[in-house]
Amino acid sequence: MKKYLPLAAVLAAVAVAPAATAHHSFAMFDRSRTVTVNGTVRQFQWTNPHAYIQVTVPQGGRTVEYSMEMGAPMYLYARGWRPRSLRPGMQVAVDYNPLRNGDPGGVVLDVRNAQGQAVGSNRE
Amino acid sequence: MRAAAFAFGLLAAALATPALAEHHDEVDARNETFAQLPNWPGYWVAEDQAGTTITGLAPVATAATGSSFTVNIMPLRAANAPWNAEGRRRWEAVRAASGARKATGWGYPMMMGSATPLRFLVTPEETIIINFYNEARYIYTDGRPMPSEEDMWPTTYGTSIGHWEGDTLVIETAMVTDPSTFFHGAPPFSENARYVERIRLDGPDRLVLEFSVTDPETLDAPWSTQAAWVRDPGFDRSIILAWDNDRTGNEDGLNTIEAGPTE
Repeated sequence: MKKYLPLAAVLAAVAVAPAATAHHSFAMFDRSRTVTVNGTVRQFQWTNPHAYIQVTVPQGGRTVEYSMEMGAPMYLYARGWRPRSLRPGMQVAVDYNPLRNGDPGGVVLDVRNAQGQAVGSNRE
Repeated sequence: MRAAAFAFGLLAAALATPALAEHHDEVDARNETFAQLPNWPGYWVAEDQAGTTITGLAPVATAATGSSFTVNIMPLRAANAPWNAEGRRRWEAVRAASGARKATGWGYPMMMGSATPLRFLVTPEETIIINFYNEARYIYTDGRPMPSEEDMWPTTYGTSIGHWEGDTLVIETAMVTDPSTFFHGAPPFSENARYVERIRLDGPDRLVLEFSVTDPETLDAPWSTQAAWVRDPGFDRSIILAWDNDRTGNEDGLNTIEAGPTE
């Protein structure tokens, strides 16, 4: 899945990398693009320093697994999420900012279940 | 026989009375001291990270430009400290290697300005500052001096002695391992650095920190900065989980997410 980055993207990432926010810089995500993937939850990693949703998506005759990063579980808890908010086999739609390197994954903005309802509140 | 037991009891009570009274005096004095100390209950998050969403970003980091990259919300990284030649050399070496490093926590001083909530447990003898990774600092306020150099050695959180100046907790910290050896985003101060913090309540719901560090090995001059914390209403207890799933990798100088475990 590795792709060569446009030079401008590399320069932008290098320029902004020192201003870390969480435990790493967010330069790894393209914050200018929001995309949505529909898939099946394989695993919800309720872990520090980040939670991850592993989502499988059928694409082109094969199954692609997306690694969807979230904040720390403490903040998920504060926004109405719990370890069992997502269970393996659940159908979800995930809005996210994709990884710049083209790998299947990104940082989660919002998650909806099969009924289109938001998971958690994602509110202050 | 019964009369003898009664007499013995009276004698024992008479002998114990001065000790009991002394004990009660001590308890009363401690309670009085305790009642006069500030109380900072709640779960305190760095002010610039208040309202952090499930994405892991605070509104202040994204509001102005839609980007997270324009706001320095971790002032204790000390990016603008007056580094001397050795400090700059260390800074650049740490940054050059940081992409491939993993972490297990913030360490000191980063825990005082991270996105991880803090609690301040104030007692007459000590104040404990502890975050949601169970990273704890023990600030002794019982009047003892800083231990002698022979009795200290470098640790991730250092050794701290404190005292109260009115409602301000003043903390002196020594013997902190180079913070960048524990967390790759931390400043590379030497273990001979001395840290002074002044923490006080500013209004009912805001704690402020004045932070300064002196380190002749890495700084041309003392460096100081400020930080503040506010309460996040989303927390009702400490949510403790180990920092044991750091999947941030690095490819071609850019961070990425390492593949998830397969079952």
